Formats: sequence, structure tokens, C-alpha cells
Amino acid sequence: MTSPPTAPLRATETAVQASDVTKVYGSGDAAVHALRGVSVGFARGAFTAIMGPSGSGKSTLMHCLAGLDTVSGGRVTLGDTEITGLDDRRLTLLRRERVGFVFQAFNLLPTLTAEQNILLPLKLAGRAPDPRWRDHVIETVGLRDRLGHRPSELSGGQQQRVACARALVSRPEVIFADEPTGNLDSRSGAEVLGFLRSSVRELGQTIIMVTHDPVAASYADRVVFLRDGLTVAELRDPTPETVLDRLKRLEG
Amino acid sequence: MLGITLAGLRAHRLRLLLTTVAIMLGVGFIAGTFVLTDTMQAGIDREFAGSAGKADLVALSPEFDGESQLAAGHLARVRALPGVADAQGLVRGEAALIGKDGKAHGAMPTLGLSVPAGRLLRYEFRQGRAPAAPNEAVLDEQTAEKTGFEPGATLRVLDHRGTVHTFALVGVADFGIDQGVAVQGAVGFDTATALRMTGEQSFHEIDIAAAEGAAGLHAAVAGAVGKEFEVLTGEELGERLARSAGADTRMIGVGLLMFGLVSLLVSALVIYNTFTILIAQRMRELALLRCVGASRRQVFGGVLVESAVVGLVGSLLGLALGYGLGVGLLALVGLMDTGLPTGAGGIALHPRTVVLGLAVGVVVTVLAALVPARTATRVAPVAALRSESEPGTGRFRLGRVRLALAVVFGAAGVAIGALGSLGMEKGESAMFVVAFGGVPAFLAVIMIMPLLVRPLSRAIGAVFARPAGMPGELAVENARRAPRRTATTTIALTVGVGLMSLFSVVAGSVEATTERQLAEQFPVDYQLGPQIGTDHLIPRALAAELRRKPELASVTEVREKPTKVDGTDFAVAAVSAAALGRQIRPEVEQGSLAALTGDTVAVHQTMAGHAGKRLGDEVKVRTARGVVQLEIVAILAGDLPLPPYLVSEADFDRHFGPLDDSSVYVVIKDGVPEPAARAVVDAAARPYPTVKVYSTVEFQEELGGAVNTLMLVFGGLLGLAIVIALFGIANTMTLSVVERTRESALLRALGLTRRQLRRMLTVEALIMGVIGALTGVVLGVVFGWASTNAISKNFVFAPPYLWIAGFVVLAGLAGMLAGVLPARRASRASIVESLAHE
Repeated sequence: MTSPPTAPLRATETAVQASDVTKVYGSGDAAVHALRGVSVGFARGAFTAIMGPSGSGKSTLMHCLAGLDTVSGGRVTLGDTEITGLDDRRLTLLRRERVGFVFQAFNLLPTLTAEQNILLPLKLAGRAPDPRWRDHVIETVGLRDRLGHRPSELSGGQQQRVACARALVSRPEVIFADEPTGNLDSRSGAEVLGFLRSSVRELGQTIIMVTHDPVAASYADRVVFLRDGLTVAELRDPTPETVLDRLKRLEG
Repeated sequence: MLGITLAGLRAHRLRLLLTTVAIMLGVGFIAGTFVLTDTMQAGIDREFAGSAGKADLVALSPEFDGESQLAAGHLARVRALPGVADAQGLVRGEAALIGKDGKAHGAMPTLGLSVPAGRLLRYEFRQGRAPAAPNEAVLDEQTAEKTGFEPGATLRVLDHRGTVHTFALVGVADFGIDQGVAVQGAVGFDTATALRMTGEQSFHEIDIAAAEGAAGLHAAVAGAVGKEFEVLTGEELGERLARSAGADTRMIGVGLLMFGLVSLLVSALVIYNTFTILIAQRMRELALLRCVGASRRQVFGGVLVESAVVGLVGSLLGLALGYGLGVGLLALVGLMDTGLPTGAGGIALHPRTVVLGLAVGVVVTVLAALVPARTATRVAPVAALRSESEPGTGRFRLGRVRLALAVVFGAAGVAIGALGSLGMEKGESAMFVVAFGGVPAFLAVIMIMPLLVRPLSRAIGAVFARPAGMPGELAVENARRAPRRTATTTIALTVGVGLMSLFSVVAGSVEATTERQLAEQFPVDYQLGPQIGTDHLIPRALAAELRRKPELASVTEVREKPTKVDGTDFAVAAVSAAALGRQIRPEVEQGSLAALTGDTVAVHQTMAGHAGKRLGDEVKVRTARGVVQLEIVAILAGDLPLPPYLVSEADFDRHFGPLDDSSVYVVIKDGVPEPAARAVVDAAARPYPTVKVYSTVEFQEELGGAVNTLMLVFGGLLGLAIVIALFGIANTMTLSVVERTRESALLRALGLTRRQLRRMLTVEALIMGVIGALTGVVLGVVFGWASTNAISKNFVFAPPYLWIAGFVVLAGLAGMLAGVLPARRASRASIVESLAHE
């Protein structure tokens, strides 16, 4: 961890792999099959969006991939670690060490300053931040003059940029973003998405993003479509039009 | 609206449960006190109604010795009246029982009582029978148990001149509820023997049994004994005795109720805090109610009804708890020698207890919920539409009114405290002034507490949170985020810990002061003296015998003579010439003890101050050879156990003749082991049953034991307030955990392990506990210092550091314990569900 990678390394390798993943809530007649056997791989150094109508299982899939939720069947591997079957403590350590998160809302601890929020995962792990990398990340998200502010003193866009910086600063193997622009106006949203894309292009970061917004999805390299708990289609180098077109066909 | 309120209560029942417990404990304590005192009073009434009814009429001697007393002549006149079937004079004096160790039993001599024969016998016998001959005696139950004498044994009892008489123990009696018997114990004789043994010339009372069909006896008896004596019926006397014995019960009740009030105050704080938090969390719900048309009044009423239901449920549970508590307290009182009945006739649960318990519980709860309920009415309907913001957070700004009040109260507290502590004449009244100053000072602390929470959390966090790592840092921030909430939560603990620290400082200082004075002014190993309250003296032969023992370094005699000084009753004392200034070192304020020869006197400063006497003035002392004028050559200070007037040993003999010693002080020679010295002293004192040997070490141990017992009693009583405060911490933590569900989930997603989350919440609770304990300790120690300083200039300020450190540690641990359940709950929650939590 001496210097930031300058180009996507081993871009063809799989960062996260889901194999025949099922997820059932409840049991018997009341059972809800959220995922019915999803197999999908996510390339390292790529920006992948997961799309689908409400109830398609896209959020559940992300939770299972990120080790936030357990699967009912199938396997999830992160790098060369199979995370299905890890106990809570190992999952927690895995999230802390190897995964980053950007949520739709309520991303930051209200009691901590922007800088403290950014460094939180490192501090939880007891790791010292690489000062050059930290400066680089902070510079990139453009928050140098906001570091001492608390979340309540930041705009929604700024809060999401802090969340992005937090996800990046520990250089995780993969960042999961759950509707990161859902609560933002379009200008702030574009800023955050542009920032996520450049972190993939320039820093070689792997990002998996759940969204229902075709514009947001168009920032990704690849879009995976889910419906009724199954992957039903995918799209490479999407534009808002192609995404919208595909969504209409899925729903129609 | 009522329906909505009840639905709300059901939805929040877990959160309200802890509030219910708080009010339950407070009401339980009060109800328990009533159960205790009512049961004891019922027992007292029953007992007196039973025993006093045996006499039809009773003539009483006045309580004070100076007035004329009922004597044999009165008894003869009463007996001669037609219609009197029997009359007996009751004798009450002192007759010291000698224990199996050959020494007079107990710290005070046993009472000598007459046990009347025939139908006027009102004592019950547990074993054996009443004394029927001059060589027979009975003992009261407790004394028999303590001394180990059983019927058939031979008793040795001292008469009023100190002569030993032997009696056959023929029975063990229950002398009824009698403070004197409870404290001193009693030996019962037939009436003539009782008069002979006690040396009494008169009767305490004359009991009269009327013949069948006798009329107008009351007036006849009153005429026979004379106007100066009161004549009552047996029932009247029973009621009067029951009332005076009941005063003790009431004292216990009032004392316990004070602690009950402290508990209720703490409960009120907990309830206030709970409702404040609940309402802050339900802003949107209340706003929605307002949106759909609920009036302010309805919202206000809804909250109050909610609090009333909580109060009612808590009070009902409290009554049940109080009943159990009362039974427990009765058992506890039964263990102490109070002589009070402890519920043999069943536990008393008065309707008054039930009504009062319910009323107090409901009223306190509703009052505590008033302010939060008002806040609820200020919710604007539009708030329902706004996105949620975290309630109760942000930097606390002291309002101008609050600041002004805090300054006024603080200044008043400090001023009153300083006046009592530094400005007033030393004494008890100064101490009460200081205690009174504690009230406004405490109020000031309550007001600025939210301001103190942030720096205190940081300081305490620096000590406790650092080892906990990042979770600890997060905990410190969480404790600081809602200063009002943390402040109210911790204040509840401050009350209990503050009072406990205050008591411990005063108690510890009393102990240290007494010990220091003993060591400085009375550096002796043994004190030989008669029992308390007797005027037996120690023959000089004993001191002479002790002086011959090579194991002892010094023997000091003190002689006292009660006489008149400047026309007032006072005692004059002398100390062995060789010991004054060595073994006995009074503080000399002015003049010199060396000048104490030939018609001179040393006077204690309080006495000199009262009489306006100064060095060189003269006092008139009545002596065996008439009134003499003595010149004051020294003014003494300190708290010596000596009379206020001291003359030289030679002068004393000259003034009053060769009197015996009233006490003898012994110092062991260096290098002699204590048990050996003790054996020598005991052997020398053996021929004198009235002379008791007290060791200074034993006395100090007893003193220390007494202080520790006192601390445990206060600890137990105030402990309840502390327990309630801990429920408050648990409550606040539970509510905070609910409020921060999403935040906890975020932390878990970012890599906080379950264990770290638990640790974070536990440390937060710990910080709250320590804040409460620390502020309490500071307040308690400061006002404890001020109080001790107010009592006397010579007071040694000695806070029992171990106890005080213990309070803080215990409060911290208990705080952590209070945080355990909420922390477990938080750590078990599913991350995914919690992230979606509204």
C-alpha cells in the first residue's frame, strides 16, 4: 500500500462471484423467494450496476454479496474467500477489511466530523491510514475545506461524497453502493456518479451499484438486470436510452 | 383519544416498563415504611391494652425526682380505702446484676423492679414464676439470654451501696414494652426486696384493684394520695404508654420516609427523562395526530393519561413490593434490641397505606410528565411532513433564565455554606445551616449539568474509553451528543451518591476526630470506671495496687465531686498530679497548668465564655469547709471527658476530703505485650465488680465498627435511590439504542463487530454512571467538609477514601450493568432490517 494503483490491474479477474444464490424469507406458505438461483460474476476494476423493478431482489442480492445478509442456498465468493458460511465475526472483519459501502441515506455518524467519518473503517480495524492516499482521496472528492464539519453541516451531495471517500480510503476489494444518488438532486447526483466512475477508471476500484435510475446506471461499464429473483439480462457500455429501453421490455 | 393513548402504551410497553419499575421502587419504599410502623404500632397498642387493663386505677409519681413521690404512707392510705381489693406500690431503681465474668453486666446497670404478687401481677413469665421470697429474683428475657443465666442459677446482684447479695433465679419474665428494660435489662424482686436493693424510698406508681361493685373509687383514691399525684384508670394509662412508645415507632417512620422521599425524587427524574425522550421520538406520530385534527389539549391530555396509567401500574406493583419490604424491615428491627413489637400479631396493611401509596405514585408520575406533555403540545402539525431529525441533540446552550437561576442558586448555596462553615459559631446549628446550603447548590448543579456533560464525558472518556479503542471513542461522542438527556439521567445518580458521600465524610470525620482527640489528649491504654449512669466510685486501693505492677508505666486517677460553682450545679475534678500534662493533656488556651496550686482552678473555655470569666477572675466553689474563692489560672479547650472545673490533686483533697476515684487511666510499659498487661489489670480489678475495664483499642474498634454499621445502614437506605437511578440509565440507554438503530446497523456494516458494538454501548453507560457518581462525590465531599468544619474547629476532615472510591467504582460498574441489556439487544439486531428502520 505504498502508492495508488494507476491503471486497472487484472481487469478480467472476478472480484465477486455469486453461484446459484437463493434467498427465502419466512417458511411454508408464507415463504417469500427473494432470490431464486442467481449466478453472476463481477469483474475486478469494473463499475457494475444492478437494476430491476421493485421487488426484483436487487437489494437482497447486494446484501448477500456484501456479507450483510446470509444466503439460503448457493455460494458467494469475494476474491478467493467463500463468504457464505462465515460466522458473524469473520463477516464483520471481512467487511471492515475488504469491502466498502455507500448507502442511499444515513451514511454518516452524526457525532463524527467528515474526516472522522472517512477514517472510521480504518480506525475500527486499528489500521493507520496511508497519509498520501488519504490526501489523494480527500483531494479527489473535493472536501479539503469541509473536513472539520459534522454531517448536519454538510449538504446531501457533500455527505455522499464523504461516504464515497470513506469507502475508498481503506482501498477495499469492492465497494457496494446502494442507490447512492437516490436522495440527491440531479446535479449532486451527477457529481457523485462521476466521482465513482473516475475512481474505477483512474484508481482501478471495483464498484457494484444497485439503482433503479437509468441515468445512474449509464455511468457503469455493465448493467445486470434482475426480475423476480433471477438475472434476466445484461448490458455493456450502457446509455440512459438503452437502459430505459431494456427496462421497458422487462416490465412489458 | 383514550383509545389512541392506550394503543400507544401497548406499543411502547417495553420502554415504559423501566419507568414503571422506577415508580414501583419509590412507592414500595414508602408503603413498606407504613407497613412497618403500622404493624409495630398495632403491636404496641395490643400489648398495652392487655397489660395495663389489669389495674383498675393507677396513681403516678411525678417523673422528676425533686418533686414529692408516692411513698409507703400513700400506699397504706389507699389500701385502707373501702372498695380497694388490692394495691401495690411499684418500685423502679437500679440494681446491678453481676455477670458470669464477675463484672457488673452491661454498659449501664440493670434496673431493679418490683414484681407485685396476686391479681396485679401484669408481667408474663416465659419460664418459672414470680419471686415469692426475699432471696428470689427474676430476669427479663434479653438479660437472661445475654448473661446465660437459667432458672435455678444463683444470681449476684449489687445493692445501691455496692454490696453483693445473692438470689435464686426463679423465673424469666417479659416486662412488656419498656425502653428502660430494653436498654439496661432488669432484675425483678418482691416489693420489699426491691426497695432494699435499689435504695428507693418511694414508688414509681401505685396499682389498685377495685373490689366488686366498688363505686366512686377514683375520687377516693385521688383524695387519699393528694392533689399532687395523678390518678388514671388502667385503660388511660395503657393509652398514654402506647402513645409514648409509639413515638419511637414514628421516629423510625419519619426517618425512613425521608429516604423514601429521596427515592421518589429520583424516580421523578427518571420518569421525566423517559417521557421527554419518548415524546421527542414520537414527534412525527404526535404531529400526525395534530394533522388529522387532534387539538393541543387532546395531545396534552393523552400524554398525561399515559403517565397516569404508568403511575398507577407502578404504584400497584409498589404496594405489593412495599408489603414485602415491610415484612423484611420488621425482621430487621426485630434483630435490634429496640424492645418494639415486630408483628407477632400479623402484618398491618392500612387502607391509608394503599390510598397514599397510589396517590403519591400517580401524582409524582403525572407531575414528572407535565413538562414533556407541554412540549408535546408545541409540536406543529407540519412536523409530520418534515424529514426526521435526531431529537435532543446538539450543543446545549444555557438559556438566560436558566443561567440566572443557576447563578442565584449557586451563589446562595455557596454563601449559606460558607456562612455556616466559616462565619458562624461552631456547633450543630452551623452544621444544619451548611446542610441547608446544600439544597440550592444542588439545584444549581442540576441546572448547569447539561453544560458539564460534554467536558466531563471527555475527561472520563480519556480514562475509561481509551482502553476500549474506537468503540470507546464512539461511546464518548454518544454520551456527549444529547447533553440534556445525559444530564437528567446522571443527576438521578448524583442525588443518591451525593447524600451517601456526605454521610460518609461526616461519619468518617467524626471517627477520625474522636480518635485523634483520644490519642492526643488521652494517650492511655485502659480506662477503669463504673457503669454509665451510676455514682459508684473506685476505691483508691485499686490505683495503689496497679501502681505496684511492673507491667504498667503509669496509673492516673481522676476524682470528681458534684457541687455548686457560682451557685450552679457543676462537678469539680482533680487529676493525679504526676499525670497532668503527661497522660492527660488538656489543650491550654490561656494561662498555665503549672500554676494550678493553692486555691486556683482551670476552667474550660465554654464555661468561662458563658460566665464571662477571664484569666485572673475568681469563681466561688462550695466545698466541705464552706464556699471558697478560687482564682482562674488556666483556660482549657478541647473535648476532654472531664468536668469543666479542674483543681490540683492536693487542693481537691483539701476542699472535699479523701474521696474515691471516679475513673482510673492506665498506660502499659513499653515492650509489655497487651494480653499480659490486660491480665494484670483485670486481676487487680477483680475484687470490684462495679469497676469495668475498657481498652482504648477496643473502644476505637467499636467506634470504627459503629461508623461502618452506620455507613451500611445509610448505604442500604440510599442504595434504593441509586438502584432507581440505574434503572434510569438502563432506560435512557434502551431508548437511545432504539433511536440509533440505523446508526448501529451502519457501524456494523462498516465493520464494527457485535462485541465492539456492545462495548460501545456499555462504555457509554459506564460514562453516565461515572459522571453521576463523580458529581455526587464532589458535592458530597465539599458539603461534608463544610459541615465538619462547621461543627468544631478541632474537627479532623477525614473522608473515608476507600468508601468514596468504592461509590465511584460501584456506580461505574452498575452503570455498565445497566447498559448490558440494551447493548445485547442492539448487537443482536439484523443489519439489513435495521438499515431499513424508520
